[in-house]
Amino acid sequence: MIKNLRYVLLLPALVFALAPVYWMLTISLKTEVDQFASPPPWFVFTPTLQHYYDAFVTRAFGQYLITSAVVAVTSTACALVIGTAAAYGLARFQLPWRLNRRLSLWILSTRMFPAIVTAVPLFLMMRDVRLLNTRASLIIVYTAFNLPFVVWMMHGFFADLPRDLEEAALVDGDSRLGALVRVVLPLVAPGLAATAVFCLIVSWNEFLFALVLTQTDAAMTLPVGIAGRVTQYEIKWGVMSAAASVAIVPILVFALALQKYLVRGLSLGAVKG
Amino acid sequence: MGIKFQNVTKTFGGVSVVDDLSLEINDGEFVVLLGPSGCGKTTTLRMLAGLETVTSGDIYIDGERINDVPTQHRDLAMVFQSYALYPHMTIAENIGYPLRVRKVQKAERLERVSRVAAMLEIESLLERKPRQLSGGERQRVALARAIVREPRAYLMDEPLSNLDARLRVQMRGELKRLQHQLGTTTIYVTHDQAEAMTLASRVAVMKKGRLQQFDTPMNIYNHPANRFVAEFVGSPSMNFIEGEVEAGTFVSDSLRIPLNADQLRKLSGQSRWTMGIRPEHIQVLAEPYDGAIAATVYVTELMGNETFVFLSVGANRLIARAPADFRAELESKVWLQLAIEKVHFFPQRREDAKKE
Repeated sequence: MIKNLRYVLLLPALVFALAPVYWMLTISLKTEVDQFASPPPWFVFTPTLQHYYDAFVTRAFGQYLITSAVVAVTSTACALVIGTAAAYGLARFQLPWRLNRRLSLWILSTRMFPAIVTAVPLFLMMRDVRLLNTRASLIIVYTAFNLPFVVWMMHGFFADLPRDLEEAALVDGDSRLGALVRVVLPLVAPGLAATAVFCLIVSWNEFLFALVLTQTDAAMTLPVGIAGRVTQYEIKWGVMSAAASVAIVPILVFALALQKYLVRGLSLGAVKG
Repeated sequence: MGIKFQNVTKTFGGVSVVDDLSLEINDGEFVVLLGPSGCGKTTTLRMLAGLETVTSGDIYIDGERINDVPTQHRDLAMVFQSYALYPHMTIAENIGYPLRVRKVQKAERLERVSRVAAMLEIESLLERKPRQLSGGERQRVALARAIVREPRAYLMDEPLSNLDARLRVQMRGELKRLQHQLGTTTIYVTHDQAEAMTLASRVAVMKKGRLQQFDTPMNIYNHPANRFVAEFVGSPSMNFIEGEVEAGTFVSDSLRIPLNADQLRKLSGQSRWTMGIRPEHIQVLAEPYDGAIAATVYVTELMGNETFVFLSVGANRLIARAPADFRAELESKVWLQLAIEKVHFFPQRREDAKKE
């Protein structure tokens, strides 16, 4: 009885969370006539794949998808490598002048102002180094944007790991780097996975910098491409919904694949043992 | 391999944890660093391993100064108090790790791992992960990882402290045999004086970062260098009686103990002394005896093979060892005979006098 009640309580939350997704999916499958029908056909309509064809064959959404994937994966990888190294250094080495704490706070402070503040300077800098309308510009910006998050997350995981293990590896004859690769990183793998998922989601969904730094089809990411279907004369709801529906898939698959690590990674440090 | 500490000091934020330590350990010796927590024994071991830097002074292994040699090049093996087994590796991978990082061929690695596993009787565990093992089994794996190669010395940081009492005694014996068999210099840190006495060829007793005495277990027990050593080693602890030497007699409250000429000679020049006597050197008698000291039984504790008798002599409290069949009512009167040639005298310090 109590168990059933729990599901009853969950239902509103579920409906609340999934309603927009359902709406988007149905719009992407409806003909334009059905999209604007009043009252809307909630469940029964004749499905069509026309909008998917429009988006990925007629228009360049396939291109946007590839750009999004390249940018998200590369910037996540860069942020993980650089951020993990920085976090390990901060967690394990005693720096002079209380730099450990000061550097950590300084790194965090770069996330304290609104992102839009940096949009114009970044645009000017990218223009000067001729990186406007390139994937490289987005990779650099996303890496920088994700770094503080990676450093802070990984710092926590490293701090929770007993020093004994690395010290044992050193005494056993391994180098610092060897101990990091063979002993430390495998043990923080759940943390790395959780951090990677977050970085990937942030990069995948990012809109502002992508809008400012890229204008060509070759360099445009999915969010910008989708938003670009809102034009002066018409709003292509079907195409936008179709592209957005496809955009959900990679993150969903990735998160499901890493779900085991994700839950462990997020609760790691919360409960010792 | 010979190990030498020369005037080694370690300070953390201005506080000396190890203070001017000089210690010379011979090849093949089993040296135990003994002391209460915070005495600097673990820090000493970690400096030798290269896990802590040396603030001042030098450490030598085989005459080579190793202060600036990184840990991985010191060729030592260490057993940690927590065992520090790599949780993500199987037992075989754990034991083989020191060989793997030294790029030993896989065939030889497996061969050596199984040889060590056989020696420590853990062959059946090789495919498991550390979390599936009991404390005693983990302890053996940690040992196996240390002895799988031939390091210059073994360092052990309270390796038995996480085991239950019965297993601890068993592993203590096995450690001693193992070290005898391998003949490798071993430095062992503990706060357990029983481990120190049974394992060590020499014991270094430390207190507040300072070396108190470095000698064989017998000499530590029979000829303690100072009151701290006398009190720390031995269970139950040595009895201490504050008093003065007056006209050839040691006087403390109602207690009067005549001293022999030898002792008197040593005690000249100062009148206030602390007398120390081990519980086994006090004989408890039911009948008065010429020269015996009258005492009252405070409480008795039967240990099975012997009885500890807690006694009041005036204001002094003493513990004596008596045979298992010793029986006495609480508050009953007994007579004590002290083995006067076995007593120790320590100069009285002001802090001791205040404590009493």
